[in-house]
Amino acid sequence: MSAGAKKRIMREYGECINDTPPGMKINFDEQNMTEWEILLDGPEQSVYSGGHFKLKISFPTEYPFKPPVVSFKTKIYHPNVSNDDKGSMCLGMLRPEEWKPPNKVVSVLRLVHSLLIEPNPDDAIEPSIANEFKENRKEFDKTAKDWVKRYAK
Amino acid sequence: MDQSDRESSQRAQTPAHRDMMYCHECHDEWYRDEHGLTCPECGSDFTEIIEEDHDPRNDEIGNREDDDGSMPPLEERPPHLHPLFHHHPWRDNDDPEEGDLSNFQWRQTSPGTFAVTGTIYRTVSPSRGGGGGNQNVQNPLMNSFATMLNSIVGGGRPGAQRQGQSDEAADGQATPGANSGPGIGTAPGGHRFTYHSSARLYPRDPDHPGPRLEPVDELNNVIMGLMAALGEPPGHQHNHGPSDHPHTHPLNPLATLFSHLIPGNGAHGDFVYSQEALDRIISQLMEQNATGNAPGPASQDDIDSLPKKQITTDMLGPEGRAECSICMDEVNIGEEVSELPCHHWFHHPCVAAWLSEHDTCPHCRQGISKSNENENSANATSGSSSGAAGGANTNASNQMPGAFGITGEGTLDHPFIVSDTPEQRRGRSSSDRQGRPSSADEGNSGGSLSERLRRGLFGAPR
Repeated sequence: MSAGAKKRIMREYGECINDTPPGMKINFDEQNMTEWEILLDGPEQSVYSGGHFKLKISFPTEYPFKPPVVSFKTKIYHPNVSNDDKGSMCLGMLRPEEWKPPNKVVSVLRLVHSLLIEPNPDDAIEPSIANEFKENRKEFDKTAKDWVKRYAK
Repeated sequence: MDQSDRESSQRAQTPAHRDMMYCHECHDEWYRDEHGLTCPECGSDFTEIIEEDHDPRNDEIGNREDDDGSMPPLEERPPHLHPLFHHHPWRDNDDPEEGDLSNFQWRQTSPGTFAVTGTIYRTVSPSRGGGGGNQNVQNPLMNSFATMLNSIVGGGRPGAQRQGQSDEAADGQATPGANSGPGIGTAPGGHRFTYHSSARLYPRDPDHPGPRLEPVDELNNVIMGLMAALGEPPGHQHNHGPSDHPHTHPLNPLATLFSHLIPGNGAHGDFVYSQEALDRIISQLMEQNATGNAPGPASQDDIDSLPKKQITTDMLGPEGRAECSICMDEVNIGEEVSELPCHHWFHHPCVAAWLSEHDTCPHCRQGISKSNENENSANATSGSSSGAAGGANTNASNQMPGAFGITGEGTLDHPFIVSDTPEQRRGRSSSDRQGRPSSADEGNSGGSLSERLRRGLFGAPR
């Protein structure tokens, strides 16, 4: 990873501390600054309220020319988070073909935050969950809350 | 198709009419001009010329009222190739009794066309222990199918056993042992179900010998018939045998079968059964092709020839500072930056690294290559007025598929629109200087499927 990229990540970290989206805490390790650990409280107004989620943000060596990779380490029932051991979230600006170098981690964090409040079933990674979200919101809410109790306490 | 249409089209295809012969003895058919009037098969003289207004085969079929093999064979392949060859739940049962057939009717609906309706009652017993279901135990699909058939034919067993059966269906595990055993004979334990079917028969094409297979029955109807046999949807014919029992519906084994056919997300091999699964495949394809559809790298010449510019006060944001949005380093007055045709500027090494992989502005995605500029404007046109896209496409001559050539002229219906004037771009770039992506840029980063499709096909909007 180039010195410029490291410098930018440092800079972005500084920016994130000053402007962290609500309910998020960033664990930053200077020895391994390309892997950020995010502790995220489920937003109050969402079905994930009360849950504590652990996320990982990995910066590729080509950063900022390639997007950071966001993955949920805590299991979450969400149309935009893959329901596997990766827990990857890949939509919008995180998509490789959508990513632009001027995008910033802080906007990635905001995207994650807003997606917890309002999932985007039209750009889902889990079609069945997205379908349930659209067709049977009650059942979706129930399962999501159940998973919060089970996995995110 | 209308009968007369069919006939006239057949006649059109075959200008020379050939007489078709039919043998009443052995039901053989041949061309008169090839074998004459005597049956080449059995030598009988009891033959007849098949005419359009009188087809002896229809009479023959109509007379066979006691024929239980009324269904034309749906497929005729060697039995050993048939996947269900070894699966014979009815292996040990006789063919349906004559008394099991009822309501069997032939009705002529139009010349040469018959409607056949009939109800067949079959009394069956589950396959014996050695039945075919066991031979495919390792195959979940076949296993499930065996479960289904066993459940159908074993449906008439007493309540306690039915309970166990639901469980077994739920697991998708067939336990053939439960279905075998001496106690289950044909009549007392057997379950009767009704298969209702209707078929239309057409005369064969006299000029094109060979079996003519009309769709005998919709698969749906067949499945519904099986469902009805399970007592599933009301309104469908079903009939319980002598050992009529209260309605206790076992878990529908068909569902188990289909769950094997359609796992989880509804995708199965190269086939999909739901919109979501299709979306997923399209997304996957789009992602695989993402680099293919994205603009290629800008040429080194174009990168090198980017105009250099020194930072001036009016390029700074309202707070008197600005940064290169790639490395996020602050820039000072007098520092040299490279300016793209869209008037966005960056450190030269920063933007060169990006441009050497993508010929797009990191901010607004406009390309920098001279050769690309036309294409980009055309894309902007197609984005802003979809009607113009088609018009531009017909004029594109040497473009890649999916790319639109610019014509520079419009018609009254499809005016040529330049969506982004340099003034607007300049205005936008000044807002970007404040380190804030413009709202238009943020709009691009979202993406419904259709939006992504459009972008994948027509390139990213610039």
